[in-house]
Parts: sequence; structure tokens; C-alpha cells
Amino acid sequence: MTTCTGCSLLCEDIELVLKTGAISEAKNLCRKGQGHFQALFTERTKPMIDGKEVTLDQAIAKAAEILKNARTPLLYGWSNSTLEAQTVGINLAKKIGAFIDDTSSFCEGLLMERILNGKIPTCTLDDVRNFADTSVFWGTDPSNSHPRHLSRFSYYPRGEKRQKSYEEERTCVVVDVRKSATAHLCSNYYFRVPPDGDAEFLESILTVLDGKIPKTGDKKRLIELGTILKKTEFGVIFPGPGMIYSMQDKMDLFEELVARLNEITTFKVIPMVGHYNMRGFNQLMLGQTGFINSVSFRGGAAGAATTHGPEQGVALAAKSSDAALIIGSDPLSALPFGTARALAHIPLIAIDPRRSLTTDAAQVVIPSALSGLEAGGTALRMDGTRISFEPITESERLSDEQILTRIMEAI
Amino acid sequence: MVGAMEIYMLLPKTNCKKCGLPTCMAFAVGLLGREKKIDECPPLIEEKKYEAKLKKLHEVMAPLENASETGLIIHPEKCFGCGNCVVACPVNVAAEPTRCAVGLGPEGDKVILRVQDGVVLANNLKECRRFGPNKILCNACTATCPSKAIEFV
Amino acid sequence: MSVELKIVCFEDIFQYESGEKSRFSDEYRQLSAVILLDKQDMASLGVKDGDKVLVENEISKIVVAAKTTDDEPHAGLAFMINSVWSNQLLRDDLCNASVPRFKGITARVAPSQEEVTQISEIVQRLRA
Repeated sequence: MTTCTGCSLLCEDIELVLKTGAISEAKNLCRKGQGHFQALFTERTKPMIDGKEVTLDQAIAKAAEILKNARTPLLYGWSNSTLEAQTVGINLAKKIGAFIDDTSSFCEGLLMERILNGKIPTCTLDDVRNFADTSVFWGTDPSNSHPRHLSRFSYYPRGEKRQKSYEEERTCVVVDVRKSATAHLCSNYYFRVPPDGDAEFLESILTVLDGKIPKTGDKKRLIELGTILKKTEFGVIFPGPGMIYSMQDKMDLFEELVARLNEITTFKVIPMVGHYNMRGFNQLMLGQTGFINSVSFRGGAAGAATTHGPEQGVALAAKSSDAALIIGSDPLSALPFGTARALAHIPLIAIDPRRSLTTDAAQVVIPSALSGLEAGGTALRMDGTRISFEPITESERLSDEQILTRIMEAI
Repeated sequence: MVGAMEIYMLLPKTNCKKCGLPTCMAFAVGLLGREKKIDECPPLIEEKKYEAKLKKLHEVMAPLENASETGLIIHPEKCFGCGNCVVACPVNVAAEPTRCAVGLGPEGDKVILRVQDGVVLANNLKECRRFGPNKILCNACTATCPSKAIEFV
Repeated sequence: MSVELKIVCFEDIFQYESGEKSRFSDEYRQLSAVILLDKQDMASLGVKDGDKVLVENEISKIVVAAKTTDDEPHAGLAFMINSVWSNQLLRDDLCNASVPRFKGITARVAPSQEEVTQISEIVQRLRA
């Protein structure tokens, strides 16, 4: 069995048969996972310095030199690395007094912070399968982003207390700005919100929960939604990027809604984490620094004060750093123009199994093993469940953890 | 997907009964249900004036020829590989109560639907509840598909 | 002729799969460099499916293919799949909660005779 590292569901029931040059058979792997593992055979990276192929040792030595000479280095990526690699990464950041941040500062961080600090109640996906009778997908389209979410946990499987499952016992609600694939599956309870309309929608739910008539929106349908929520025995809300970007600084309002729902019945929240181990990085960082992301260790190790805030997040840090190590991420492609452009103008060290816009622009490229296939380790699923996996094929490429350890030794 | 009326329009519409059915419309329904074959209509095959209609009929019937005995058609290019149908199919659930029933991929070979290489694949269609004399119109796999990758004709 | 639109980004499994295999393929560009428009906006612009449109705001500009959505009416609102193309239009100044406004792209859309922006062109702009 193989664990798929294609998204934060970390499906463990994958059976792969590998032959030279291709995956010859993949059982239970969804289309997204299939694409993820095919990356093993397309556009693999090679050790490079300034666009010329070098030995791995040379690339690692050059990476160490760049980081050593940098005044304000940034270490970015992390959500596609194992807990073991992240631990070394945080130690490296401490050692060289770097900024360290992951993809969550652009995305789920706002919610994850509240979950990990216990301000918003959460549960495991196995609890969802066993007990949940209402799932609310808010600003997320799991059919596209986490294809097996509905089949493994939230809608179609039978669970301990949900033997009649989707036919009789489960209701799914979708709140989104567009009628996504998931919204089509739950079309009876699809609520369309205008862009940036999530806060107003949320206030309307609070109003109907108090037994009053909402001022805006489709009153009849909102009252119907209120009834579904009140009748729920065990409800789970899955907020995705759409909801979080729309709510932004009004996240307290969401906290209030969850608290209000819990006065009536049981409601939990699981953030729709994208990358396979974003939650792992956030949890490690919280344990070590008190913050889930966007930290600077400037001032060196030896218990020096850590700072945290927007200045330490990648959007601003990219503009104040003089070198960056990017691991398992393609920020030149995935981040906004201004941030991507700032990164493209400083010396970059890219650690990645395959070619990307970032590896193309990097001064140093270090090829890494693909987690789940060529390297083992541990990661935290979106619900915090710890999943360990072993590699299923031998690779001459080093794991992220080994590469980072060697860079650290060379500094 | 083609309907009975569309097929009827491509038949001779003479109700000659040579196919063994009372009307051309009945023959169209028979074609759609795959109980009849195009070459069971002698005029259509033999008479030159129906040549264009015959050609068109073969075209519209082509997708149906790929359909299984139960009328199940899979469009792998549309499939997400999400496994909703694998978990929802009552035959799968009965065959693998500790796997498909609880959201996991199947282990054995008794199931009808499984995900292979990122897309759904059908086997053992004789087990499908839409098959045989006691068939019922189960639609668990099509109703749970996010992308209309499975349909019944 | 041009219209001012809000653009919301979303994830698509086929485009994602393609991007996992290669960020530099023609297939990935064809799946990514697309803007989904409401019928009414297509009509105001006088474009049909596959026609090229210039999408421009204060951050950058790109040429992508226009496509009609089959969603319920949403004139004034357009959709793009998350990709390096949509990210060219994204601001990176932060709101109070210090996240970028991913969902808040506003841009002017107009018919264009130019070809779809190539990834090599985007890379050049990032490095310029």
C-alpha cells in the first residue's frame, strides 16, 4: 500500500505497480493523485547552479554558501514536506536567523490558527464518517480539490452511526460563489453567495438561528437552512479558501457562528487544507514558537527572540530578503505577481522533485525524492491525524530531510 | 444521448412489421433498449433510398454500442476518480462491507465499480441491479457522479 | 468595447492534473489561460467561445481565451482557474488580516487579436 501525498487527505489505500518509465497500474488513486505521482516520470529536476548541471555535492555546497552569506534569508514552502523535514527546516531557520513561512500565510492560516489554539472546535475525518449527519462545504469544491473527501468521509460512506449514509442520514450543504461540481451533487442545499458576501450570509444564518427573519437574501431558503442546522446531531463545517479570503479580518464572526451552533447542538470545523502537510508545519511551528507561520529568527539561535507578523510572512519577507530557499513549492507560479517578482529577483535555492517556474529561476536547484513514492516520513492529514508512510521504490535522490540536514551541516 | 424519437425519424416509418414489431416506433424503442439490432429492419438495409438514413442511424447508435448489457456507459475523460460511485454502489457495499462501505477502495474482484489509473472502471456487470429479469432502476452511481462521467442509456 | 469585471478564482482537477505533469506544456496553457464569462458579458464584448480577450488591471495584463459558463446568470462576475495566468492580476498588498485578496481581482476585459500569453513571456516579466 502507498500513501498519496497529492492532497491533505493522505489516502492510504493506494496500490501502485511501477515499471521503468511509468506507473503501470494504480488502484484507488484519484485523478489528482494520478497526476501527482506521474510527476515522477515527467520533468524531473537535476542538480544545477546558474543553469548548468553540477553534482549534488556542488549544489548543496553552493546552497549552504548562499544561505551563510545572506543577511536576511527566507525559508519558504514546507507544506509539501514531511514533519521530519519541517523539523530540520525550523532548526535551520533558527541556526541562520531566517524568516520561515509556509503556504498557509496566503491561505488557511487565519482559520488554522484558531483551530490549533482551540478557539474553534474540531474533530477527525473518521468522526465525520462515523457520526456526522450534516456537512457544510463553504467556499470549497472538494470534488475538484480533494476528490475522495465525499466518498471517504463526508457524504457517501457508511459509518458507525450512519449506516444509511447519504440515502437517508446525511445532508450536505454547499455555500459558494459558483455552482461547482460539489454544488451540483448537493444542489438541493446549494446557497450562492456574491463575491465577498460570506460575512453577510453568515450574519443571516445567525439571525435565523435566533428565530428572526433575515434582512437580506432568500428568506425562505435561509430559514430552511436554519432548520437543517438546528436539527443536526453532529455537524461539520469545511471552510475552504473561498470562505477564508472572503471573511479575512471578520473571522471572529465565524467563531461566533460556531459557538452559537454549539449552544444548540454539536458542530465541528475542519479546514480544507490543500497541500499534504500544511497542518504539520503549522502545528510544529506553534509548538516551537507560539505562532503557526510567518516567523523570523533574526538575531540567531540561542533562544533569541522570535518575531511574528505580516512582515515575517512571505508577501513582505520576499521583498526584504536577500536570498531564499524554496522547498516543495512553486511560488513563482502560485503567488501574486508582486511577490513572485520579488522572489525572482533574489538568489533562490529550489529543492523540488520536478521542474517548475521556481526551479527555472533558481540559482541552485537540488532534486529531491517524491514523498510517498521515493521517500517515507510522517505528515498530518487536514484533520490532524498523524499518517506515517514508507517509500515504495528506491531512489538515488535524497529526501527533503536529508538535503536540509546536509545543507545545515555545511553552514 | 440519443432518444427513441430521434431514432424513429431515421427509420422507414412504414410500419411494415418485417422486424417482428407492430410499428417503427416500437422498433426504435427496441433499438434504444438494445433488444433489437439495426439489421433486423430489412427495408433499411436493402432499399437504396434509405442509405443516408442508415448511415446516420449507425452514427447516432455508435455510443450505445459501447454500452454494457445494463446500459452503463463510462466516459473516462470526464471522470475525477473520486470514488463516489464505488462507495455508493449497493453491490460494491455488499461485496466489501469493510472497504467500499466505509469509503475505501475495494480489495477483491467481486465489485462492479473500482477506480483504476485515476478513473472509474466497471466489471461484473451481471451483478448490477439493472441487469436480468428482476432488474430495478438503481441510479446510485450516476446520482453521485460529480461530472456525469457515468450514464445509463 | 470593454467591460469591467470581478474575477473569482477556483480549482479544476483536469487543469491541476496537467500542471502536476508539466507547467510548461501547451495542454496546461490551454486549460489555464481561460476566462469564464457570463453570456451577457460575452455578448457585450462581441466575443464567442475561443476568442481571445485582453484582461488588464493595475497589476498586469494577460491575453486569454474567453469561454461561456453554463452556470446561472452572473453578469459582471468572471471566473478563472488558479494558475500563473490568474496570479498575474493578483494584488499582494494585504488586508488587515494580512492575507492577500485572492478572490478580489477587478479587471477590464476587451476583445484582442493577440495570441494567448505564453508562460515564457510571464517568466520574462517576473524577471524583468
